[in-house]
This record gives sequence, structure tokens and C-alpha cells, in this order.
Amino acid sequence: MTHAIVVEGLRKKFGSREVLHGLDFAVEPGTVFGVIGPNGAGKTTTMRCLLDIIRPSAGSISVLGQDPRSAGTALRRRIGYLPGELHLENRTTGRRMLEHFAAISGPVDPKHVSHLAERLNLDLDRQTRKLSKGNKQKLGLLQAFMHQPELLVLDEPTSGLDPLVQQVFHAMVREAVDDGATVFLSSHVLSEVQQAADAVAILRDGEIVTVSTVEALRTAAVRQLRFNSTGTEAHDVGALLARVPGVANVAVRELKADGHAAPTVEATATLSGQVQPLVQELARLNLTDLVLEEPDLEEAVLKLYTVPSDLPGQPPGSSQPTGPGQPLGNGHLHGRDAEGAYRA
Amino acid sequence: MPRILPLFTKALTDSWRSTLAWAVGLSAACMLYLPLYPSIGGSAQMQDLINALPPEMTKALNYDQIASGPGYTQATMFGLIGFLLMSMASISWGAAAVGGDEESGLLELTLAHSVTRVQVVLERALAMVVRIALLSLLVFLVVLGLNGPSQLGIDVGHLAGAVLLFAALALLSGTAALFAGALNGRKMYGIAVGAAVAVLGYVFNAVGRQSPDVEWLLNLSPYHWAYGNSPVANGADWGATAGLYGISAALIVLGAVALQRRDVGL
Repeated sequence: MTHAIVVEGLRKKFGSREVLHGLDFAVEPGTVFGVIGPNGAGKTTTMRCLLDIIRPSAGSISVLGQDPRSAGTALRRRIGYLPGELHLENRTTGRRMLEHFAAISGPVDPKHVSHLAERLNLDLDRQTRKLSKGNKQKLGLLQAFMHQPELLVLDEPTSGLDPLVQQVFHAMVREAVDDGATVFLSSHVLSEVQQAADAVAILRDGEIVTVSTVEALRTAAVRQLRFNSTGTEAHDVGALLARVPGVANVAVRELKADGHAAPTVEATATLSGQVQPLVQELARLNLTDLVLEEPDLEEAVLKLYTVPSDLPGQPPGSSQPTGPGQPLGNGHLHGRDAEGAYRA
Repeated sequence: MPRILPLFTKALTDSWRSTLAWAVGLSAACMLYLPLYPSIGGSAQMQDLINALPPEMTKALNYDQIASGPGYTQATMFGLIGFLLMSMASISWGAAAVGGDEESGLLELTLAHSVTRVQVVLERALAMVVRIALLSLLVFLVVLGLNGPSQLGIDVGHLAGAVLLFAALALLSGTAALFAGALNGRKMYGIAVGAAVAVLGYVFNAVGRQSPDVEWLLNLSPYHWAYGNSPVANGADWGATAGLYGISAALIVLGAVALQRRDVGL
């Protein structure tokens, strides 16, 4: 099956400033592909290129098998787009705005529109200038979803939405994918993407740092570990932890022993990579408390794209060629804390 | 359900307030100026006053012709206040059509839907043409209505021709504004270019009429192309009419080409 989106060597210059330095990625149909990166990384520029709003300086783009530059209106009818900076007209209502876009990009089932509005809890008859940021965003989502397009290109879709509506949005994305649609979305925070996306591309300064599955990122991510145990000396606990691959930042201290009881040892550490080896080692201890936190993917990713590399690692996409959206080019990974996971 | 010319209908319906406001303004101007003709243009005292003015000034204001009803209508309504109002309306619509829409961030979303850029420019230009046509038709009817009561003595055919040129002149500034807006996506550039066409046209005409030494300026003045032979009195110059509409059409096409070739929304 052909890819829903194929981008090869995409470069974009504004004047003398190049903002995209040769992006390569591909999105398989029927999947959710997330792009994350800080503001100014090139997410919006990439999306605008897919929609032919701006034109690449070099490289090739294929969207649903066609070049957006030459495919024209028939292709854009098959795409739903939510701009990163959504501007709505002031003197209109949501309903009139949607009717206008339906007239252009239709056919649209009016029942589907009212159904979506109901789910998003959006009043279509209010003046758009009186809508809050979140409600404007809902209207933006509605115009992207309403004609049930084959491809959704959503720039920061959850921005301004409260957590409940974010859940609705994620459900809408899942349903669209179940119906065979492909979703390409961006965010500057991973937590918004990880829930929805099958694959994630990390963009920094106009370059793709890595393309990976959320699972692979999860493996790369660092968890906080904290436990208390009794009956084992502190230095033995330290030695035990040191044997576990992926454990770092070990700190062990003896808590004040109350009377003649065996000393309680409190240990904190970070874990990247597999959980199983750790659990096996910990099973030797007499634990009184154990906390292994949900990995903070965001922090892991932030390190990937904010810390300049001094320890280049291996791209997870090439070592685990399972997920959708493998890098076509030579995506490379930078990171300090992540490299242990890829060695493991 | 797909509608015909969705962008055109939207542009037209969205601007009904401003269209109505300009219509009220233009009608009011006609009704204030034209009934004064019997006491101004027709009166001997007023003529003496005008004769006492420096001839450069009367020429610049086209007041050398206000002794006749058609001349008065030409100089005051079509040549001055009507020209001013219509040019302002047309320039504001032209600058908003693409440049203003892009600057406010709305064009990006429109273009992401199933439209071509050429279609956006053409449909919005058509909406501007229709609005200018409506206002011009209104002016035609109001002047026609005042023709008898105000003793203007205007030939209906000449009036129709003059209104065609009146519309053409306004459309030219409007399409210039649209073209400039489509070229660089800024409303201000549109307004500046549109206003330059209108104002320079007027100034070149006023200066060019002063002496044979600067007469060549008249050739550069769309205002003079339209009004040089005083169409309310003498009927339209059809060559000038065709020329003005032709330039406007060319500016619309150039606007479409310009928008087609560049990045939007930067």
C-alpha cells in the first residue's frame, strides 16, 4: 500500500534563511503520525507545504499519492486542515462559517456537523468573536473533520482545549483512523501526541532528529524509581542497583533505625529501558515501599532536542523497524540519557 | 450542497453593511449638491464670484464648467465628491479582498479548502465589480431623479455613459489595490497603491490643465482619460471606457497570477 504522505529532502527558505533543512519522512495510511518540536522548529511550515499554502524550495512531497503543488482542488477536498494559528472572521456564526466551507469542500452531511458540535459541546449559533479560545479551536476542528477527509493535517490541535474536550478530540481521531483516515498532527508537547500517535517525529531547528514509535520513546524515556527496603545494608542495595542495566543517579541512604529492628534503606534512582531486569533484582529485597513513576516522555524528548549531542546514539526507528513512519533518510538521535536504552 | 461561486456570494453578503453605508453616502452627496444648481451654477452672481477666483483654481476644481447643468453635475458630483466616495469604497474593498484577508490570517484556511487561488481572486474581484456596479446604478438613478427638479438638463444617454466612466475610474483604483494586496499580502500596500492611482490621477489632471507646458501630465491621468471631455455634457469616450475597464481586467488577472505564484500567510 502506498504511503499517505511521503516527504523527501524537503527544504524551505524564506529569503536567505532556511527553516527546513531537508526533511525525510513517510506516513503510512490509517495511522496517526505526530510531529513534536519546540516553537519555530518548522512544524507549521511543513504542514503548510503539505497543503500547498507555501511552496518548498527543494525536495518532493506526495500527499495521498499526489503532488499538492499540481493536484489542485480535488486533493484538498480529501484533506482536513487545522491551522496552527486559527483566525476566524468576527462577524459570523460558527454555523455560517461551516456552511461556507461546506459549500467549497463539500459534500458535508449536516447531521455529521451537528453530531460533532454536540460532542464538542459547541454552540454553532454564537457570534465567533464572542467565542473563547477553546471554542474557536473546536470550530477549527469541526471544519477539519466535517467532510470526513481521508487525511487530517492538524497543527497543534489540542491547544486551548480543556482536558475533557481533549479526550473527545482523541476519540474523534481514533474514529477517523478506524474509518481508514490518516492523521498528521503536531504539538510542542509530547504528552498531547503520545496518546494519539502511532509514530512520532521529533523536529528541531528544521531537521528531523528522530522518527520513532511512541513505544520506542517510552523505552528511551527515564523513569523515577524510589523504594524502601529492610534487612539489607545500604551499600549492598547500591551494588544491587548498579547491576541493573539502565539504572543511574543512584542515591541510597539508611533511614534512622528505630531501636533493634533492621535498618530501613531508602533508595532513589532513575531507570531508562526495560523494567523487567530491575524487577528481578528488586525481588531479592524485602521491600516496604516501591514507586516506579510513569516515564516522563516529555522530559526524555526535551533532552533529545535541547541538549546538543555529545553522545550520538542509534535511531530507534532503525533498530526496531516495527512501527509506521520509519525514517527514509538518515535520522539520527542525540541524547545523553537515552543512549543506555538503545544499547540495552 | 455545492453552491455556485461560493466565494463571490460570501464576499458580497459579508459586505452588505459597508455597501449600504457607501450607498447612503453617495445618495446624500447627490441630494445635497445637485439641488443647489439653480442657485449656484445658474445664478449670475455665483458666476461673477467664480470669475473672480484665480483661473488656476477654477480649472483645478473643474469649476470652469459649472455654468451648465451637466457641467455642474460633472464637476461637483462625478468629478469631486462622488469620485472621492467611490474611490474610497473601491480601494477599501480591493485592499481587503486578498491582502487584508491574508494579513488577518483568514486566507490560509480558505486556501486549505477546495479552491484555487485564481478562483479566490476572480470571485472576490467579481464581488467588487458587482458592488461598484450597484453603487453606480444607484448614482445613475438618483441623478436621473434630480435631473428635472434641479433643472440640470442632462441627456440620459450621456448620463449613462458618464456613470460607466465613473464606475470604471473607481474600479481602476480598486483593482490596483487588489493587485497590490495580492502581490504582497498586506492591506496597507493595497490601500497605498489604490490611493496613489486615484490621487495622482486627480492631481495630474488638475496640474495638467494649468498650462500647455505640463499638458503631458493629462496623458498619465486616468481621471483625465475618463472625464477629459466632460462626459455628462458630451457623452462617454468609448475608447477611454474600454481602456479603463481593460486595465482593470488586466490588474485582476495579474493579481491572480501573483497570488498563484507565491507563499501565503507569512
